[in-house]
Amino acid sequence: MNRNAVSDKKLVSAYIKGNEEAFELLVERHKNRIFTTINLIVRDTYLAEDLLQETFIKSIRTIKSGRYNEEGKFLPWILRIAHNLAIDHFRKDKRYPTMVLEDGSPVFNALEFSEDSYESVQIKKDTDIRIKQFIDELPLVQRQVLVMRHYMNMSFKDIAEVTGVSINTALGRMRYALINLRRKIDLSRSAYDKNFYPK
Amino acid sequence: MIKTFTQNDLIRYIYQETNEQEKSDIEEALLFDNDLFETYREIAEVTEELNRIDMCPSDRVVNNILNHSKNLNLHSVK
Repeated sequence: MNRNAVSDKKLVSAYIKGNEEAFELLVERHKNRIFTTINLIVRDTYLAEDLLQETFIKSIRTIKSGRYNEEGKFLPWILRIAHNLAIDHFRKDKRYPTMVLEDGSPVFNALEFSEDSYESVQIKKDTDIRIKQFIDELPLVQRQVLVMRHYMNMSFKDIAEVTGVSINTALGRMRYALINLRRKIDLSRSAYDKNFYPK
Repeated sequence: MIKTFTQNDLIRYIYQETNEQEKSDIEEALLFDNDLFETYREIAEVTEELNRIDMCPSDRVVNNILNHSKNLNLHSVK
């Protein structure tokens, strides 16, 4: 039987009945997506890991106490928990933690990326790190909408409600986020070309 | 007549938040409006780049989560 074919709903049902393997599959299936979402909000790998743990613990307690609403979908539900915890952290801390090296560059080396073949690992890592860095540099309101729409798969209507703005404002923020990213990607490509193909 | 569309419309299209009529109108406009198509291509490329980010938490954290679940008594949580 292909375990990947089992729906989240079935896995949650099995977990409610005490099947820990079902929970393990849910964690394996969604951990990267949830971790990526949190990490893009808090911009600190270690804090993101703490919040990931807190997110799952909250979900475990909700499910095991029988308070999980089976009509909802698991991933959007747990992503919402993760997002709320990340935002709560900001509210409590009132700062945006970023770990930096002595030269001021962000610490990304601690990140573990999903990897393919050895040959492609370094190129992929470099690109992923660059894109993540560009997202980190976006203004908070743009980054928030980008993470909610792209990584949490929330509709612009839902984002507008959660963030207390109009749909057009949410869309506008997304537009600026994408334009800013595009500009940064173009600049970085042009710098790369100059380094490797000097005139 | 070909309708005009904004960048916001293209973003809604890329994220599949347009209705069937809008979707069809945008796709028609993309065929004939080069500037619109270029804007679409640029936005779509960025969203492709965003898909590349896939970060993985450490095994230590994943094991902590799984152990927490195993150690939590089903009926003790209220």
